[in-house]
Amino acid sequence: MTDASLSPLALAPRAGGRPLAIAAAVVAVLALVPLVIADKFILSLGSTVFITAIAAASLHLIIRTGHISLGHAAFMGIGAYASVLTVMELGLPFAAGVLAAFVAPCLLALAIGPLVLRLTGKYFVLVTFLFGEIVRMVFVEWKSVTGGANGIFGIPAPAPVFNDPAAYYYLSLGAGVLLVGFIARLLASEVGRAIDAVRESERLAHCSGIPVLRLKVTIFALGCGIVGIAGALQGHFIRYVDPTSYSVVQSLNLVVVNVIGGMQTLVGPLVGTLFYLILPEMLRGYVELQRIIFGIILIIVMAFLPGGLVELGGRALQLVRRRAGS
Amino acid sequence: MTALLSVTSLHRQFGGLTAVRDLSFDVAEGEILGVIGPNGAGKTTAINLVSGVIPPTSGRVEFRGEDVTGLPPHRLVGRGIVRTFQSTTVYGDRTVRENGMRGAYLGLYPGFFATLFDTAHARRMRAEATAVVDELLDWLGLTEVAEDKAGSLPYGHQKTLGMIIALASRPRLIMLDEPVAGLGGGDADHVRDTIKRVRGRGITVIVIDHNMRFMSGLCDRVLVMHQGARLAVGTPQQVLADPAVIEAYLGKRHAALAGH
Repeated sequence: MTDASLSPLALAPRAGGRPLAIAAAVVAVLALVPLVIADKFILSLGSTVFITAIAAASLHLIIRTGHISLGHAAFMGIGAYASVLTVMELGLPFAAGVLAAFVAPCLLALAIGPLVLRLTGKYFVLVTFLFGEIVRMVFVEWKSVTGGANGIFGIPAPAPVFNDPAAYYYLSLGAGVLLVGFIARLLASEVGRAIDAVRESERLAHCSGIPVLRLKVTIFALGCGIVGIAGALQGHFIRYVDPTSYSVVQSLNLVVVNVIGGMQTLVGPLVGTLFYLILPEMLRGYVELQRIIFGIILIIVMAFLPGGLVELGGRALQLVRRRAGS
Repeated sequence: MTALLSVTSLHRQFGGLTAVRDLSFDVAEGEILGVIGPNGAGKTTAINLVSGVIPPTSGRVEFRGEDVTGLPPHRLVGRGIVRTFQSTTVYGDRTVRENGMRGAYLGLYPGFFATLFDTAHARRMRAEATAVVDELLDWLGLTEVAEDKAGSLPYGHQKTLGMIIALASRPRLIMLDEPVAGLGGGDADHVRDTIKRVRGRGITVIVIDHNMRFMSGLCDRVLVMHQGARLAVGTPQQVLADPAVIEAYLGKRHAALAGH
């Protein structure tokens, strides 16, 4: 890991003021978008960005404890199925579905967390990868509940009003602000201090009184619960859930979003999400080359910006400051 | 004498190797106990067992009359037992002050929801912890570098910071694993003074080293370990006069030196 505090974009721990003002300005601009642009495609893309941002930020939370999960989309899928089944099979309101979408993956994470979080580095990556595959297989095989490989069709919107893309845009923006705001607050609290301490030196943190395993399990369960809510928002948005939407490929996408954006601050996965979802849309003019160009750009970013896109912003700011200083 | 720490028949096996065997000793409140012995004598393992970093195979550790055998480190910190590490262990990318704050975690963490909402209670705890850390930085002379990265400090300062991290939890017993390893003579003298000042605050100290000269000028009593077991215990003078110690530790060393 490179230097964390080099990045001025860092949501500095326990600092109030500026990051909060910037975040508020960004949210205000995003809230104005539907008033200016009525394009359904843009608004739908906006909803996808917010939902993916929640998922990526929840993975960031887990990554901050020093564990890169390659099974995060599985928990997202569990949340999606839990919500969809709660609404469609039990006939309960969407709010109950969201609650189920948080609780189900959270409980599963609490069950496996104490075991898998003892593993470090590549072993944790491998085990979560396998776990993701197992969950996907359960989605495929448990046909009576999940509809098997065909998935579940005809999922209703959370409420009739949300058939309107602008309304869903606001719903997912609201959820994004709430959940990413929660993660930001958590990381800026004493819990965040402990999380960083554990990642940087687990042994030292443990000997300073930080209950390492309990902290890791708690954060893992929270991250999995939050991504479950993202899954619910996605399921009721695209009106369809199936196992491939929550496969290891999707888990890998969430990791890539974090790597591209930067893994040292919460801003990283947000920037990464934007980049990962918007850039391919901008390359639509070159259909045959779209994936190749995108792949090359990803490689360039990873090769030259080990700290992610956030590092680019950091370097630019430093340059500006140096110019201003001299 | 009531012991602050009482270790009875501590035993630790790694596969076929017995790292610590039948180790018993007491530490009185306010004492500086040295643990000395050649490399591989089991000193660090003994500290790891007492500080909960690894659980003992058998035996008993009592702290202030309570059985704390096998408790994990974070629980022991809560009871007042801390330790430092042989290799300098600081959070290199963080400021000196932040390092101290992390050491003060137990006095800082007000509970999940309290810290999330930054309640008055949380702010009060943070103010207290900040005061504790600032006082320690001042006391051990690191205030000037408080905003510097810990990794940029000279080696001696990093060792001091390691001690500050441990002291920030306001312990009753601090265990120092080779606090002068890799330091020059002048720095070693400085560390010795620092340890005495720590004891002056009423904190009991266990210090590991293999340098008898350093230890005899510092410790009230010395525990000599050899091949995982206790060879002798007593004042530095008593221990130095013990024929078993001379033969097993100093004797061997002298013999080895003479042989070259």
